[in-house]
Amino acid sequence: MNEARLPPPAEKTRRVTLLDIAIISVVIVVLIYTYHRVEHVLVYTWDWALVFEYVIRVDEITGEIFPNLFLKGVAMTLRLAFWGTIIAAVIGIVMGLCRVSNSLFLKLGSRLYVELIRNIPPVVFIFVFYFFISSQIIPLLGLDRIEQTFSPGTLAVMEVLFGPTDLFTNFLAGLICLAVFEGAYITEIVRAGIQSIDKGQWEAARAIGLSRFRVLSDVIMPQALRTILPPLAGQFITLVKDSSIVSLISVQELTFLTQDVSNTTTHFFEAWMITAALYFMMCFPLAVLFQRFERFGLGIQRT
Amino acid sequence: MKLRNLFVTMFTAFALAFSAMAGAASQELAAESVLEEIKKRGTLRVGMSTFVPWAMRDKKGDLIGFEIDVATKVAEDMGVQVEFVPTAWSGIIPALIARKFDVIIGGMSITAQRNLTVNFTAPYAHSGQQMVANIELAEGFAVEDFNASDVTIACRRGATPCNAAQELFPKASLARFDDDAQAFQEVVNGNAHAMISSAPKPRFWMGNYPGKLFMPTDENLTTGDEAFALRKGDPDALNFFSNWIVVNTSNGWLKERHDFWFKAQTWKDQVEEQ
Repeated sequence: MNEARLPPPAEKTRRVTLLDIAIISVVIVVLIYTYHRVEHVLVYTWDWALVFEYVIRVDEITGEIFPNLFLKGVAMTLRLAFWGTIIAAVIGIVMGLCRVSNSLFLKLGSRLYVELIRNIPPVVFIFVFYFFISSQIIPLLGLDRIEQTFSPGTLAVMEVLFGPTDLFTNFLAGLICLAVFEGAYITEIVRAGIQSIDKGQWEAARAIGLSRFRVLSDVIMPQALRTILPPLAGQFITLVKDSSIVSLISVQELTFLTQDVSNTTTHFFEAWMITAALYFMMCFPLAVLFQRFERFGLGIQRT
Repeated sequence: MKLRNLFVTMFTAFALAFSAMAGAASQELAAESVLEEIKKRGTLRVGMSTFVPWAMRDKKGDLIGFEIDVATKVAEDMGVQVEFVPTAWSGIIPALIARKFDVIIGGMSITAQRNLTVNFTAPYAHSGQQMVANIELAEGFAVEDFNASDVTIACRRGATPCNAAQELFPKASLARFDDDAQAFQEVVNGNAHAMISSAPKPRFWMGNYPGKLFMPTDENLTTGDEAFALRKGDPDALNFFSNWIVVNTSNGWLKERHDFWFKAQTWKDQVEEQ
């Protein structure tokens, strides 16, 4: 039954066609041309060593190794991604269930949330959220005074989890922005997954006397999960990349610190290339990991 | 007659109430000043943005620069810790108003537009705009020659340089960039005739590309006044910071620090290898 859903395997060809040769030669010409422009037309003194020092710094005297701004930025981006994924997933699942609920209020509420977020550009949303909403909520919860409230031990733990405590409120605002934003897309993925399950499944499950909750948890969700997983994985990778927008509200993550380095050193080509590589190194393993999950998930379903 | 009496009594009552409130209000104003908040918190939170040589990162990734020295000394004189909140320049005024930090010490020039939104202290630095031009494209140009329709001038958008360029060279076309480094690169590559930026960056940069660039004039094109920016409605803090600047201008401390960061580049080995 499941095999029917998979596309038929494509015929494998090993022959190099004329089209392949044409495409490869165009790519090579473009690369050579770019190299030529960069090397001979662009007047730019490359200094990779200087910029690399902002990745890892080796103390000249003691020989000790310290992570520098780029790696601090990576750590911050990973913190944002980790917490952002968890919060966005919770928001997405709750809101996604609201979208398919029977209550008109829940339906309208979640619909409003999704449409609002999806129809506002992320940059605009972040500015509005940061300057109007978070600056009202965070002082109200007393989160701007954590340094006085918590013991040094707690603060040390918080530093590992959320980054420097003096910039905690900033991190929190960025994190909530990101989670609320991505949550809307996850809501839609969850909703689409649930709605993709045939009505007959609902009716059959109801007919054997399962409660609405049991229908969802035992019949619908296990099937929906298979549809949900691939786009969800994609959305999590998007979240990692989208975390760069919170640099606009000065969260000290990778993109923000890269701006600092490129402004300070004026070697902005090297700085941004290193950052591109770092983002790739964060996202690509995730993509591979999720691919594994997907295959694993399908395998279980088939048995 | 009765009605008039009633009015008189009401006015008197109001007047009494207002004068009492005014007395309470001035005490409240003092208590609400950000100065009290800073003392209570024990840290001065300073909003700033990376801008050579005002504030930049040394090899260890720590902040150094003219502004960093200034803010550190202000906090020291107040007897509190200093805490820097690096902030994207385009959002720095909204962030101040949203109370993300107490004061902007960020080389911000006083302009009428900005002053409508925030309060400025007395100026603590006087910077100017400098111009650096591509030798191949603009050989022998005097400053006035850049005001021509076939001239392109690069600058950082949303900042004083672009405004200066527009005023000084209305005929030239402007190429606006997100930061100075990109604007500068356009000139080195010969895509723009000249770029304008805050002194002393153009002069420092020129040194990196000898024989490619020149400065049409050694004079600054414009002069600006940089000041601390504070939220409106806080006369006590404004008074404190302004007077701090007055005192440190008189005793020469500000000038000495300014010369250290702006005149020479003796600090350069803190940022890169020599």
